[in-house]
Amino acid sequence: MAAYFDDEDLAHFGELEKHHPELWALWSKYYGKAFEEGLLTKREKILIGFAVALCEKCPYCIHSYTAQAQSIGLTMEHLAEAGHATASLRAGITMAHALVAHNIDKKTGM
Amino acid sequence: MTMTLPTLASRRLPLAMASEQRATLRRLPLAREFDQRLADAGLAPMRPTRIEVMQVNVGRVCNQTCRHCHVDAGPDRREVMSRDTMQLCLDALAKSDIGTVDVTGGAPEMNPHFRWFVREVRALGRHVMDRCNLTILETPSHRDLPAFFAEHNVEVVCSLPHYLGARTDRQRGDGVYETSIRALKRLNALGYGSGVAGRRLVLVANPVGAFTISDQGLMEAEFRKALGERHGVVFDQLYCLTNMPISRYLEWLVESKNLAPYMEALANAFNPAAAAGAMCRNTVSVGWDGALYDCDFNQMLDMPVAQGAPRHVRDFDLAALTARAIETDRHCFGCTAGEGSSCGGATA
Ligand code: SF4
Ligand code: SF4
Repeated sequence: MAAYFDDEDLAHFGELEKHHPELWALWSKYYGKAFEEGLLTKREKILIGFAVALCEKCPYCIHSYTAQAQSIGLTMEHLAEAGHATASLRAGITMAHALVAHNIDKKTGM
Repeated sequence: MTMTLPTLASRRLPLAMASEQRATLRRLPLAREFDQRLADAGLAPMRPTRIEVMQVNVGRVCNQTCRHCHVDAGPDRREVMSRDTMQLCLDALAKSDIGTVDVTGGAPEMNPHFRWFVREVRALGRHVMDRCNLTILETPSHRDLPAFFAEHNVEVVCSLPHYLGARTDRQRGDGVYETSIRALKRLNALGYGSGVAGRRLVLVANPVGAFTISDQGLMEAEFRKALGERHGVVFDQLYCLTNMPISRYLEWLVESKNLAPYMEALANAFNPAAAAGAMCRNTVSVGWDGALYDCDFNQMLDMPVAQGAPRHVRDFDLAALTARAIETDRHCFGCTAGEGSSCGGATA
């Protein structure tokens, strides 16, 4: 059976343009601009991309941002740090959501 | 754990032969040939602009056997430039205005006539660059080399693939990073790397894997910060080199099944500006036996300068060499991808 995610897919990403060229162009301009160096460095933006890719569990973006990180000399040691920062924040967010339960219990519990 | 292996030559592998290396690259399906790309960019045939550098490969002997070595250098190699051939290089220099001699190897310092050659080149008033692997400076018989370099104002261009030790050792062998840092500190102590004339210290980084570096400036900043904070080491400039699909790096690409995607990525990243700045356009390369090549890579692939041009340093003729067409093949994609790569780092 064909896999839903294939590492060859990334090369065809641009084919999505044909279904709605106008919105595609707007999005790709926005994406390009948002990732340009500004107050944040290229390195910082690549690491943001990597963290978001992990959070969103997007294999394409994980691949793409790993390659971009390698191309500026970052290694798995760097990416592991980024991964742990991402994962620990996710864990914190999970715990923060337990506040909802905590609040409900405060209100309705005895 | 070290991942380095003995030389291809000592393992008697087919890939030790230049012809087999070129055939391996030829067998790949590539969308477009290098020469076609050059023609599209209006650069075919590639010709020198002005020959400013003589790169002399004084031998293939080395104290290391790095995994990515395009020379297949190592302790077992026996190719060493003789003093007579060095004299021919000096004669050629004397009758030309070539300003820089770039001494490479192997570990060039292991050639028994290395110091004599450097002194003679300096006596001709030419700039000398030594391509140094750093660890050689920490061996007993070469410990005084930093002082020798300083005495003769030799520019030291040294390899350090990464500012993280594990990465460097994986490519160059166990303990190489630590030893390299010790050598760098001794060079720094002599004033190397602090912007002083005659004490120029350049680091050469190359990817530890099957990818290229996209931003030399960013890498330099990372190196400066990391080496400064961790070791107090300073340097003048960082060059990023692309690993060339030749010799042991080619072997690794084949074994790790990275060859086809790597070559495809290099070919797709062809940059006309990088091609225009390719080092073969300002350099002539001399082999250990005096044979002339367009660059050290062509030298390792047994591709001498074009028919009709002088092919040995004894017949050196600057005008004829300047007029030659440069020999190119698929490995050249390594020089022209992205920001480009040369012995002087990025070219675009
Ligand atoms: S890359 Fe340099 S240091 Fe390493 S084996 Fe080759 S010549 Fe020696
Ligand atoms: S491999 Fe040599 S001949 Fe080819 S582009 Fe690079 S420097 Fe020039």
